[in-house]
Amino acid sequence: MVSKVKADLLIIGMGAAAQMAALYAHEINPELDILIVTKALKGKGGCSRMVQGGFNVVLTPRDSHEKHLMDTLKGGQYINDQYLARTLVEQATPTIKEMETKFGCFFDRNPDGTIHQKAFAGQSFDRTVHKADLTGIEIISRLTEQVMKRGFPVLQECRAVELLLDGPGEIVTGALLLDMRRGEFIVAEAAATLVATGGGPTHYRFHAPGPEKSVDGIAMLYRAGVIMKDMEMLQFHPTGLIVPGSVVAGALLEEGLRGAGAHLFNGSGERYMLNYAPEVGERATRDVVSRSSYLEMMAGRACPEGGVQIDASHLGAGFVLKTFPGMAERCRQFNYDLARGRVPVSPTAHFFMGGAVIDTGGRSTLEKLFVAGEDAGGVHGANRLGGNGICDSCVYGRQAGKALGKYLSGGNRSIKETRRGQVEEFMARLEAPLQRSRGANPFELRKAIQELNWNKVGVARKEPELSGALSEIEDIAEAVETAGVTGGAVYNMMYNTYLDIRSMIDATRIVAFSARLREETRGAHFRQDFPEQRDDYGLFNIFLKRSDDGRPVAEKKPVVFKYKSLEECRKYKK
Amino acid sequence: MAQTSGGVRNIKVFRYDPQQGGEGHFDSYVLNIQDETTTTILDVLLRIQREQDPTLSFRFACRVNMCGSCGMVINGKEGLACKTNVSHIPQGKEVTIRPLNHFPVIKDLVVDMEPFFKKYEEALPFYEPREETTEPAVIRPGSRERQDIGMATDCIACGCCVSSCTMCHYHEGYAGPAALNRAFTLLADSRDGLFEERLDRVLASCYNCRTEFNCTEVCPKRISGTRAIKYIQRLALKHIKAKPETIEAEQPAVAQPSCASEMAGSMAGNMAGNMDRRTFISQVGVGLLGTCLALGVGGVVGAAFVGPTRARTPRLWVPAASLSSIPVGDVTTIKINYETKNGLYTQQVAERVLVSRTGDEIICFKASCTHLGCMVKWDGNAGRFRCACHGGAFDRNGKVIAGPPPKPLDRYPFRVDSDHLLVEVG
Ligand SMILES: Cc1cc2nc3c(=O)[nH]c(=O)nc-3n(C[C@H](O)[C@H](O)[C@H](O)COP(=O)(O)OP(=O)(O)OC[C@H]3O[C@@H](n4cnc5c(N)ncnc54)[C@H](O)[C@@H]3O)c2cc1C
Ligand code: SF4
Ligand code: FES
Repeated sequence: MVSKVKADLLIIGMGAAAQMAALYAHEINPELDILIVTKALKGKGGCSRMVQGGFNVVLTPRDSHEKHLMDTLKGGQYINDQYLARTLVEQATPTIKEMETKFGCFFDRNPDGTIHQKAFAGQSFDRTVHKADLTGIEIISRLTEQVMKRGFPVLQECRAVELLLDGPGEIVTGALLLDMRRGEFIVAEAAATLVATGGGPTHYRFHAPGPEKSVDGIAMLYRAGVIMKDMEMLQFHPTGLIVPGSVVAGALLEEGLRGAGAHLFNGSGERYMLNYAPEVGERATRDVVSRSSYLEMMAGRACPEGGVQIDASHLGAGFVLKTFPGMAERCRQFNYDLARGRVPVSPTAHFFMGGAVIDTGGRSTLEKLFVAGEDAGGVHGANRLGGNGICDSCVYGRQAGKALGKYLSGGNRSIKETRRGQVEEFMARLEAPLQRSRGANPFELRKAIQELNWNKVGVARKEPELSGALSEIEDIAEAVETAGVTGGAVYNMMYNTYLDIRSMIDATRIVAFSARLREETRGAHFRQDFPEQRDDYGLFNIFLKRSDDGRPVAEKKPVVFKYKSLEECRKYKK
Repeated sequence: MAQTSGGVRNIKVFRYDPQQGGEGHFDSYVLNIQDETTTTILDVLLRIQREQDPTLSFRFACRVNMCGSCGMVINGKEGLACKTNVSHIPQGKEVTIRPLNHFPVIKDLVVDMEPFFKKYEEALPFYEPREETTEPAVIRPGSRERQDIGMATDCIACGCCVSSCTMCHYHEGYAGPAALNRAFTLLADSRDGLFEERLDRVLASCYNCRTEFNCTEVCPKRISGTRAIKYIQRLALKHIKAKPETIEAEQPAVAQPSCASEMAGSMAGNMAGNMDRRTFISQVGVGLLGTCLALGVGGVVGAAFVGPTRARTPRLWVPAASLSSIPVGDVTTIKINYETKNGLYTQQVAERVLVSRTGDEIICFKASCTHLGCMVKWDGNAGRFRCACHGGAFDRNGKVIAGPPPKPLDRYPFRVDSDHLLVEVG
């Protein structure tokens, strides 16, 4: 039995991008019938609520959009979509103001009562707005309340599993959902669909996003035939906590620790960052520190827990406890003393810079399909600045919401017909594991995928590992076809894990595929066999889509330097 | 450094399968845990699921105490599975895990949180700007309101407090600690425009609280529901004490409560920090706060006696505009500003008056929707008032023509005094 629902606007996800889009689409066009579906409970899933650091935005005349743009392009190593980056920095200002004045967020203040902005790495001005070290909770709680206030229906614990298309495969007609509580499928059809499931590279041994995520959005978009870009650009945060055997592994210890002067040691007790970046040491950028730590670990110089160690004790226990109370508490829960001892950390998969190709209104390459937030690509180029992520989701959620409000006005609210038989085909495949009680175990397959990516498509990449990963993932994909699931339909977590790994497999395919095509090192993409950044070669974006045989096909296109020339970008110094 | 403590633990987990129905039962598992100090209850559940019983269901998302998905009852006490370590449970003791109280169980440890969200929603837990502005408010971090609110806006809606509260069990209509905590943070927020409506909504609930402090003890974010409830009661108390009297004043007019209480200020200050039951009680013994608590409780009794609805604050005539500036045949939006004393602080009130003027007739409507109090705007093209929140619409006379509003738009009493239109507020 499949039930059907219809709406003018179907929003997949309930993070910052999704909720902002709903609120603004409604503001522009209050008559819209908006349906939100989320894999978690209302407002509880996703990375937006896990944001600690804060939100980059220009708020004073001493700073400028120009500077924020240049910082963003410099951080992105010049391959950003400048059009998107410029909209990001310009619209961030009204966005954050409206989040306070319309939706009731309240960020930390200066003593004079104006909004406080703190320093973040890679920026020429202290422009990061925050609420202590729990900025995401403030943003998501307030947005969720506003969604409640407007009474939009929310299907909770309903995960989108596939996008639905019309006959020729050019128009998105909605999505196939699984109601996780009942274990039943729902066909949701809409005049427009927004995908905002927030990327989330959890297909690595260590990952910062919550394990609820599984790259569903990116995988669904890819499978539907959307053009994606920069998929090789995946950011690793250098200091994910290691707790052997615990699901908490990979959770972040914030960057401010290194900023404040914490040291990193390898298993032999050596401050290895002095070898890799003698001048700045541990204060080097995220990508440099991550790859240095990774190389140490791979060279057999890991600490007993399997990573490296961060040490802040020389800063004084009092200082550490006062400046990083949240981090100290997180460590304490696992018996580590951040103030007085060393804590094992590892680079941890953090963020997709790549994603669906969009315009400034979130429009994708398929009709009636919009994408916003981490699922979209191009804003951040080869590397994202800390504080530009939640900014992206809020700004582009708002942009997409406004665009959708207009797009769905007038007579444009018709729902196109889904290709006959598509739903049935999807369901036949998706339900098969429930009929097999014996078969490959999804929990073990997930582990295998995470190890494969960690070892071969990870912080440091090279051939033939990348090609090896591409063939190994096909073996795993084959095993997934025989996966079996125990238990009934209701809230079956093993079955959901099976759905998770389907997404992770597609994510692996496209990340490894793109990573092979970029034979240089740029931003987060580090090729051990091509360790230099090559501006005479690498100023392109990789556009990729799924071909008819299911494998990706790609095209490299030169970067368009729309507002700032390469020279300007290169010369720019913070 | 890390001292390890491991061993074998018996784990008892509540199981319920809706397809089988019944009352549910406990299943027992034996787990060899290498280091209990670094193993969370969430890790335990994941291991059971992976190694022994893949049909076990529970809920989690962030795994780092930020999303509030994993609330459950662990050895009799509510907590987050990802924040509770096995070592927190006395060594060798069996670990018992069951779902939160007062919520329907979907499967095993997974409950339906809808009753939580519903109660939450009823307390109008959303911000409604008092005034349409584009610039964030200038509010000092040391201001009374921010000191009062503190970190209480960090609630992650985990439901632990509601599960722990015996009153939530006995009183169907009781909003519960989380909803009241959110109401409190908005009532204290000078930027918010739903003070009256919200206070009306939640005050009755506050009298259900028996000050057991269970909610305060279990909250993973160290939020004190009890403190929030007492705060709301004190706010209301101020309103009751304010004797109705008519003040006529030019702007800025201050609605002064007839009897200012010296207790209010120090009370708020002393209770500003969130404290758990133990520190709270230990401080009560030592002086000032002790007195305050006694007064607070006295106030509660008094207020309960008067009943849950507050007396009106003093009425006040506020000049709106000169009559000649109000066009005939149109609806004009006029902003009025005045001050009112809320006991704990002076509130700057800015309101919108929607003045409909046709021929000889003038009607002054409140710009607040009678459904949930969102802002109502005049839509000249359509010739109707509209509320964006839930699509309510009213005709020129304030009559409901669409959407959920239960009654017509409220009107202000007004009078005209030598070409000045004055409206009565309060
Ligand atoms: C630990 C951590 C800390 C961070 N700190 C910062 C920071 O300080 N500053 C900064 O700028 N950025 C930070 N980021 C990055 C930032 O959080 C993200 O870039 C941003 O929040 C993504 O927002 P989003 O709206 O795109 O997605 P999310 O907020 O992740 O929301 C995704 C939503 O989609 C839902 N969903 C997922 N799959 C499905 C499906 N199949 N069907 C239906 N719904 C689905 C989820 O439940 C969730 O509701 C951090 C990220 C992490 C993980
Ligand atoms: S007040 Fe505390 S216990 Fe209650 S829902 Fe919020 S975070 Fe959970
Ligand atoms: S899983 Fe998010 S709070 Fe425990």
